[in-house]
Amino acid sequence: MKEAIKNTTLADRLLLLFLIAGSIAGTFIAGKAMSQGLNVTVEIDGKPSYTFPINIDRTITVSGPYGDSVIEIKDKKVHIRETHCPNKLCVKQGWISNGAIVCLPNKIVVIVGGNGNNPPEDIDAITG
Amino acid sequence: MQLQDKYRVAILSAYALALHGFESMLPTPIPWVRLGLANIITLVALVLYGFRTAMMVTLIRVILASIFTGTFLGPAFILSFGGGVFSTAAMGLVFISFKNLFGPVGLSLIGAFFHNIAQLTLAYFLFIQRLEAILIISPVILLIGTLTGVANGIVSDILIKNLLKKDEEKIQNVVQE
Repeated sequence: MKEAIKNTTLADRLLLLFLIAGSIAGTFIAGKAMSQGLNVTVEIDGKPSYTFPINIDRTITVSGPYGDSVIEIKDKKVHIRETHCPNKLCVKQGWISNGAIVCLPNKIVVIVGGNGNNPPEDIDAITG
Repeated sequence: MQLQDKYRVAILSAYALALHGFESMLPTPIPWVRLGLANIITLVALVLYGFRTAMMVTLIRVILASIFTGTFLGPAFILSFGGGVFSTAAMGLVFISFKNLFGPVGLSLIGAFFHNIAQLTLAYFLFIQRLEAILIISPVILLIGTLTGVANGIVSDILIKNLLKKDEEKIQNVVQE
């Protein structure tokens, strides 16, 4: 065992380092590329009205029965900054990066999810 | 092909098949991860007896193993066949073109890498056709392949050294007699 490790050539070791570094870097790159695929969908009165990519910061104002609600996207997170409905539960829910914020009185739903055009699908099986 | 070569291919294929069978009985934590123990035999065959023997052993192993497990010409066979042939070809090419650059560990890493690349490509074109799924899974599979590749390379190195030592002893005995 020890002898076998000593027997490795410089090229062997460089290749090993390169492969490990490459695959670990690849994991992060792939993860990042995927998270950019997330979208924020705003539903007003049950109808999907707006879709925004989560990685671009912006502020949106939408109006419901109780007046305007301000939705803010920042640092890949979403929150409802301001609303005029009675209990303001949606504001208390704070920042989310996944899931949904529901504002019942104002009939606004903010959903963070995968690419709207092609929903995520699981791999059936791979065997080798 | 000489008779001795045929014996050699037969016995190496038998070892490779045994390891392949043993490996398929081991429980794996992640479904599509394999140790690739049979690659040890391919590597030994390549280093000691050359590319032709290694490729022959790989082909016999993949085809017979799939017949034994009843997956011949099925999706698992296509993946296994593509991975085996491509990785053996890659290892052979590197071994022949850069004779002393890589040792068994490096060759094993090359084999593992190209095995996974071939399988991921085949899986993409034949079965999954979802680039994101392949991209997400690729680095993980390549990392695991690198780790098992090192382990297999070390085992191959020990095996090759011992086989060479035995050959030398045999020659010495013949000379002494």
